[in-house]
Order: sequence, then structure tokens, then C-alpha cells
Amino acid sequence: METEPAAALRLTALHKAFGDTVAVDHIDLAVPQGSFFGLVGPNGAGKTTALSMAVGLLRPDGGRSQVLGVDVWSDPDRAKALMGVLPDGLAMPERLTGRELLTFLGQLRGIPADVLTGRVQELLDVMELGDAERTLVVDYSTGMRKKIGLATALLHGPRLLVLDEPFEAVDPVSAAALKSILVRFVAAGGSVILSSHVMALVEQLCDTVAVMAKGQVVAAGPLDAVRGDGTLEEAFVRLVGVDTGDREGLSWLAS
Amino acid sequence: MAGVLSALPAEARILIRMKLAIMRHSMTGGKAAWMIVGGVLGLALAAATIWLGLALPAQPTVVADLLAAVYLMWALGWVVGPVWGGSTLLRADHFGLLPVPRRRLAVGLLAAAFVGVTAAVTLLAFLSLVGYAVRLSPASVLVALPAVVLQLVFVVLLSRVATVVFGVVAKSRTGAAFTGVLIAAMMVLAQSGWMVAVAIQVSGVLDTGFGPGFARTVRAVPSGWGVVAVESAARGSWWSAVGALIGLVLLIVLLLLAWSRSLGTPRRARVTIRGSRRVAAPRRGLFAGRTGAVLRKELRTWWRDPQRTQSVFVPLAWALGTTALPLTFGEKVLLPWAAPALALMAGASVANLYGQDGTALWLTLLTGSERADLRGRQLAYLLIFGPVTLAVAVGFTAWSGLVWAWPWVLALVPAMLGGGAGLGALLSVVALAPGPDAHKRPENPLEHGDTTGQANLMFWGGLLPGIPAATVLALGTVYDDVFLLWAGVPVGVATGVFLAWWLGRVAVGRLRAGGPELLFLMRTGRSRPARAELPKRAEVSKGAARTALLGWTLGSIALFPQGLVPMIFLLVGVDVKSWFLAMHVPGAYAWPIATVMVLLGSYLYFLAIKASRKPRATPGQDQQLESV
Repeated sequence: METEPAAALRLTALHKAFGDTVAVDHIDLAVPQGSFFGLVGPNGAGKTTALSMAVGLLRPDGGRSQVLGVDVWSDPDRAKALMGVLPDGLAMPERLTGRELLTFLGQLRGIPADVLTGRVQELLDVMELGDAERTLVVDYSTGMRKKIGLATALLHGPRLLVLDEPFEAVDPVSAAALKSILVRFVAAGGSVILSSHVMALVEQLCDTVAVMAKGQVVAAGPLDAVRGDGTLEEAFVRLVGVDTGDREGLSWLAS
Repeated sequence: MAGVLSALPAEARILIRMKLAIMRHSMTGGKAAWMIVGGVLGLALAAATIWLGLALPAQPTVVADLLAAVYLMWALGWVVGPVWGGSTLLRADHFGLLPVPRRRLAVGLLAAAFVGVTAAVTLLAFLSLVGYAVRLSPASVLVALPAVVLQLVFVVLLSRVATVVFGVVAKSRTGAAFTGVLIAAMMVLAQSGWMVAVAIQVSGVLDTGFGPGFARTVRAVPSGWGVVAVESAARGSWWSAVGALIGLVLLIVLLLLAWSRSLGTPRRARVTIRGSRRVAAPRRGLFAGRTGAVLRKELRTWWRDPQRTQSVFVPLAWALGTTALPLTFGEKVLLPWAAPALALMAGASVANLYGQDGTALWLTLLTGSERADLRGRQLAYLLIFGPVTLAVAVGFTAWSGLVWAWPWVLALVPAMLGGGAGLGALLSVVALAPGPDAHKRPENPLEHGDTTGQANLMFWGGLLPGIPAATVLALGTVYDDVFLLWAGVPVGVATGVFLAWWLGRVAVGRLRAGGPELLFLMRTGRSRPARAELPKRAEVSKGAARTALLGWTLGSIALFPQGLVPMIFLLVGVDVKSWFLAMHVPGAYAWPIATVMVLLGSYLYFLAIKASRKPRATPGQDQQLESV
């Protein structure tokens, strides 16, 4: 049908409403293969809802989501094997250690036992979770949860990573480690889409961005095209129309 | 109120107002109904205690024995209360950052603790001591008045200290097991406490009095020191009267010091449960493959999660307690039924497997492993409860010495275990009760979604798998045919296997079809709205909540103690009247009355089930995703 290669992730007229509130309003989005894609937007813009629908964790009211040309909702098994997902704030099998969790998931993914053992060790080393060998996931800190989450997303060697707020509450040292893993993943031909509201981070990592506000994509394209002459933050404020709030009040504070 | 308040220190005044405000805001629907039912029950208990002190026609020493024993039960009630009813309204850690000295905060919180239905009802009950003193002498009354106040302060403080202690133990698995046994014990007493009443009637203790050991024990514990003071004053031995009161004061000071110390300690370190090191994926055997992976994960979770520990101990203690209770009047007839009862209740405590694990479901959905997940959970359930139930079946039936019970027990246990595995899996999927995720409730690992309805459904529905086997067994008994009787066992095994497989298959289908919807429910369907301006979730209306509560309570009374139990007594020919209406009326009316009670109970249950069904939440009433 298409002559160009299929997009790593293509959302077509994806739509979701919760009662009167339209969370995601018929959005179209294409993540080109090999791109590092940043989805930015203020709180409540619909980023998590859009990504949840894209990976098959939330049923859309309308529209499609395709991973490398495979429809997520009509051919879920094939589509889900192609992607690795890190959702924001969801639980894990909490009473397992990191190694047990990865081994469990590897078995579910059908990875042969001898391959799995090596991969799990490698991931634990890279994520620096080796020291917490006997700690259960329920006792992990927020940063550790993000790291083990990313490890579960990488375990089966996906071609697309969908990451919801991967750097939230992660300390700078761990964040640097995570960043280098993602950059290597893209350099090796993988594609990444991540959501964030930290503009500097998206500017530093991503080559393509989309800005969401009130359930709609208000701008999308190569980073330089979206930000124009200024910074991404300035472009974002212009697009989203944020009130910077130079207001009266709190005069007693530190007076 | 204002006049009384102004006499108190400022912290106490503020905290009391705060508590009153919280109570006002929480007087809604079901909670208000519970509060009223609880208050009425408490008043009835207090009235009974006062009647004991004032009017019981018995020797004064027997009355004192009974009063001391009843005060001990009130004190225990205050200790157990926090475990049963959850956290207190004003929690000390809410005030951790305020620049107020710990001891003044403790006094303030203590003053606020007296504001409440429970404290008022307890005060009323303790006034029975004054009633008893009136019977003795004016001097006793003089001692009884301060004794009542001290006793009340003592139980309230004891309860606060117990809350702290329980809060620490509940974080470990031993603590969870302990609270599980405690909950089961209260369930047993509430459902089958009449057996104890029968035991007291049979023993004739009201005429002869208690043994000296009993009398000494109930007076030696602090809850009996008020009685000691009043008795001593009547005898004129003032030293021991004043001594008992001073003892109470000292105890109160010690408890207050201990409690105020605990207020200052920063959040206690959690009891961390450790996992294993370096375990590779097995290539073959029970834990290989996808279902094997889930089975291993589930077994580890059963072993490491305090909540699961509790759900093992509740059915175990409930089944053993209920069937052993008739031993108090030397009856062994219930012992063989411990195992079927355990199998039945085990199902009721695992009817919310997915709700317990919370949003971890996303991994199942993303790996497309719904079938493996459900089958693995069923297998783990059978591996956890199967061996225990079989051991109880063999042990208790042998202990009872009732040979005829063997085929019944061996047929019913597999039917109910398998039925529970199937029905529990299905209910976990179709009637999921969302609760907070495990990592969001580190302060109380036992917090969970409300599964009262599911547990009731499982309990009654869990009886059904026993029907085919029971039919064959009954026929075998009627025709006195040993072959037919033992044929019940393979029938029971077949029913269990079939139900576990078939209901599990239905559940897998539902999970595949509605997985994202279940995940959405768990993400958003928490009891607390994420944002105030969003429309609230569909909730059961006040009237419906009241109907449901009254239906469950009165329905249980009509169906069991007033309906089914007298029927069994009539069938077996036991002549115990207790509070069974049907046993008090002339013979010809006994059966009709018991039948009417069964019908009435069933109807009330029907009303309650109808009222507790939440109106189907339309998308407009759902909350939005929290982190959108």
C-alpha cells in the first residue's frame, strides 16, 4: 500500500473520551523508523491516554494504532512482540526480585532458558540493580522501579520502545545511564517514543517531537522545525499558551 | 459542649473539633448505617452489662466474677477494635511536623479519642460498677465513681498502644497471620457464638459460681482492679481499695508515657521480606513454560506477601474454630466438616486475585499470556490449599472417630477445592474489586479493595459444587449401599476437576476480551477521587446501603441460627433451646417456623444482593486516568 517503509508507530484518528471530557481528540501521529521521538505536553494533555491506546492497554473509542505496519488491536500478539513498553506508575509482580521478575517475563515471552539467563544478568548489570539482588520490587525506590521497568521493556529485544515519563523521579546519575542505553538503542536501528514535560531533556535526546495540548497534537515534526529560532520551551509556551503567572499575592512570603 | 471544651488545653480543643468535623463528613451512606448499627449493638451490650451489675439474681461474688470477666472482654474489644476497624480518624503521623511537644500532643489526641460512640458506650457499660456498688455499701459507691473513670481512660489508652503495636506487627508475615487468626476468631464468635452460650447453659455455672482460679484471674488483670477496689471498700479494707485505684493511675501514666514516646519516633523501618538470589529459568519440570512461570511467581507471592499470608490464615482458623467450638460442650460431630469448611472459605478469601495484584495486569496483557496467567493462579491456589485441606480432612475425621463421615469428607473436599479454584478465578475476573497497588500502601500492607460481596457469593456459590457428590452420598446413605456411598468420591473429584477447568476457561475468555477494561478499572476505580472537580464514581445510594446492611445482618440471623440450625437440631433430635425460636414453640409449629425463617432469610439476602449491586458506571461517571 505504502511505498515508503512503515512507520515504527503510526496513530490514525485515535480518539478517547471519558464522558464529556475528550482526553484524546482524533490524533494522527507517525514515528519514523530509527527516530528518537519526544511527545511533550502539559499535565492533562492526553499523553498517557494516547500512549496507553497506542500499545494496547486502553481500548480507543475510534482510530487505529500500528507498530511497523502491524495493527495493535486486530493482531495484538505480533504487534506486542515488536515493542517494549514502560508505562507510568503501574504495578509489577511486586513480590519478586529484579532477577526473578525478568526471568518470569522472559519465560512468558518464550525466550529460551540459556539465552534468558545471560540477558537478565546483562540487563541487571547495565541498570546497576545487582546490589539489590535480594530486594523485592515492592521495596524498590522510584528510580529503581523505572530502571527495572526499562529492563522489562528491553528484555525481548523489541524494535520500538514506548516510554511514558521514563525520567520522572530518576536521579541524574541513573538518568545519564538510561539516556546512554536509549541512544545506543536508536543508533542500532531501534525507534523510541517517550513522553515528558521536561523540555531540556527532550531537546537533548530527541530528533523528532510532537506537542500535545488538550487532547490534540498542535505541532509535530523534526525538532528544529518545531522549535524554530528559539528554544523548545519557548515554542511550547507559544503553542500551548501557558500563563506564566506574574501575579499579585503571596506578598508576605520572605518579606 | 463549648463550656466543657474551654476547660481543656488548646491542642485538645483543636483536635476534638477536628475529629468532630471528620466524623460529620464521613457520616454518609454505608458508613452512617454501620455507625448506627454499631452504636445500637454497643448500647445493647452496655445495657446487658448494667443489668449484670444492678439486677442479676445471683450471689454478689458471682456477680463480681461476671463483671470482672465482662470488663476484661470490653478491654479486649478495645484492643482488637483497631485491627478490625482500620486506622483511627486522627493519626499521630499527621501531626509529625507540628512544633508541639510529644506529651502535649499525646494528651490532646487522648482527649480526642474520648469523643466517639465507642467511648460513650463503654462509659455507660462501666457505670455498671456503680450499680453493683449500690448493692454493697455507700463507701463502695464513693470508690466506684473514680474507678469507672480510671477504667475508661485505661481501656482507651490500651487501645492506642495496641494500635501502635499491631501497626508494627502487621508489616511482617507473622503479624499478618496473627491478624488473620484474630479476624477469623471474631467471625467464628459472631456466627457461632451461640455455641458458647449453649456451653454456659449446659455447665450450670450461674448457680454454682466460677472456680477460684477464674475469679482470681479476672481480678488480677488491670481491667478487674475497679471491681477489686469496690469489693475492698465494702469489706472496709481501705488500703487495698486505694491501692487498686493507685495501681490503675500508675498504669495509665505508664501507658501514656509509652504512647507519647511512640508518637515521636519517625516512621518505623519496614519489615522487608527478602527474595532469592540467582535463580535461572527452569528448562523442564513444573516451573517450565509459561504456565510454570506464572505458577512460580504465584507461589513466591503467596509465600512473601503479608496479604496472602492473611488470606491463608483466615479460612484455616475459621474452619478449625467453627468446627471445634462444639467441643466446649463435648460434641465431636462437627470435626469431620473442618476440611470441607476450609475448602469453602479458602475460595471466599481468594475471590479477588487480580484486584489484589492491582495494575500489574498490564504485563499479562502486553505478553498476551492471559491463559497461562489464569491457569497458573489456579494451580498455585490448589497447591497452597490442597495439601492443608487434605491433612485437615484426614486428621480431623480420624480425631472425630465418626467412621460414616469418611466418604462424605473425601468426596466433598475435592469437589469444593476444584469448584473454588474455578469459581474464584471467574469471580476475580468478572467481579474485580479494585484496591490500592501494593507499592502505594507501604504503611498498611493489609489494605485492600472491598470484597464483601464477592466473599459472600463465593461462600454460598461454593456450596453448589458439592451437590452432585452429596446426592450420590445421600442415596448411598438412604439405601445403605456401601458401593454407592463410596461412588461419591470419584463423583466429587470429577466435579472439582471439571469446574476448575471449565470455569477457568470461561474466565480466560473474559480476561482476553476485557483485559484493558479491567486494567482501566484498577487504574482509576480507587475509592479516593483523583481530582475533586471530576464527577464521582457511581456509588450505592444511602438507602440502598442501609437496605443491604440490614438485609445481610437480619438475613444471616433468620437463615442460620433461626432457620437452618433448628432444622438440623430437629432432624438430629437435639433438644437445645438457647435463642432458637423454633425450639421454643410447641412441636407442631417447630418445622413451619424454621421454614418461614429460611424463606425470610433468603428473601432478605435477595434484597441485600439487589441493593449492593452498584449501578453500572457509565463512562461519564468514571474518573479520568490519573496521570493524563
